[in-house]
Amino acid sequence: MRKLNPEDASLLELVDRLLNKGVVLAGEATISVAGVDLIYLGLNLVLGAVETFEKAQERRAS
Amino acid sequence: MTLIAHAIAAAPPASLPHRGLRGRPLSWSETGGLGLWSTEWDPDVKLERPDALEHHQLVERICAAQTCLPVRFGTAFETSDAALESLDKRAAALRAALARVAGKSEVALTLLWREAPAPAALQSAVGPGRRYMEQRRAEYGAREGRRLRAEAMVEELIVELAIERPLVWYETGTSASVAVSLAVLVPTEQALERKAQLERIAARFSDVAPVVNGPWPPYTFARIE
Repeated sequence: MRKLNPEDASLLELVDRLLNKGVVLAGEATISVAGVDLIYLGLNLVLGAVETFEKAQERRAS
Repeated sequence: MTLIAHAIAAAPPASLPHRGLRGRPLSWSETGGLGLWSTEWDPDVKLERPDALEHHQLVERICAAQTCLPVRFGTAFETSDAALESLDKRAAALRAALARVAGKSEVALTLLWREAPAPAALQSAVGPGRRYMEQRRAEYGAREGRRLRAEAMVEELIVELAIERPLVWYETGTSASVAVSLAVLVPTEQALERKAQLERIAARFSDVAPVVNGPWPPYTFARIE
């Protein structure tokens, strides 16, 4: 299990709210970032993205 | 002209700078006493990650100026008429939600497990089949133990906060690292006091690291049925 630091957790909580909370109105278009529909990005997927980012940082550092 | 929706509020609109995402015009569309704050957008331009944070800043600005319901980021309408039709269909529920969040803000608490679950102690002499089954059982037991511990922490938080349950939302075990993700809806003028209270209560839990965020616009409590 990778430990989340508080900064990651804060960002993930905010992103989760932006993408998964709030009023859902009909008629919404599918809007995507890098081919992934924002509407369906969940916290777990965002966690995965942070892990990928950290691994890339570790590779750059080594 | 596509509209990227940010927040719903009751008419009349607050006086706000007419600057939306990426400096594009921020517009107000109104029907039946309700209105939608949105950015006038070129449909050929894709939203990107920084737009999500700018959407959040816009929602914060709107909610600071008047009671508002944040709209999920990425919600777009082809025309203003389509947006207004959508509001009209949900007018009663939107008014009820606006009344629910009036004068309130959201404070969030995340509890992160300090340690990974301890590996199961298995007998070395058993065969591979039994070993597999015992490992599975131990993993299930550890997960269930953590779930129960997370639920107990939530209960303690709710009791200590002395807050009504409809004003609390939570999930447990959303990932291996996250024990609890919790949000409370509190009067805006008490938000910082409540935030400090959450920090004090959560600091007593030795097995998790608390992260408190907000006050934020009431994202979690803006849902309508």
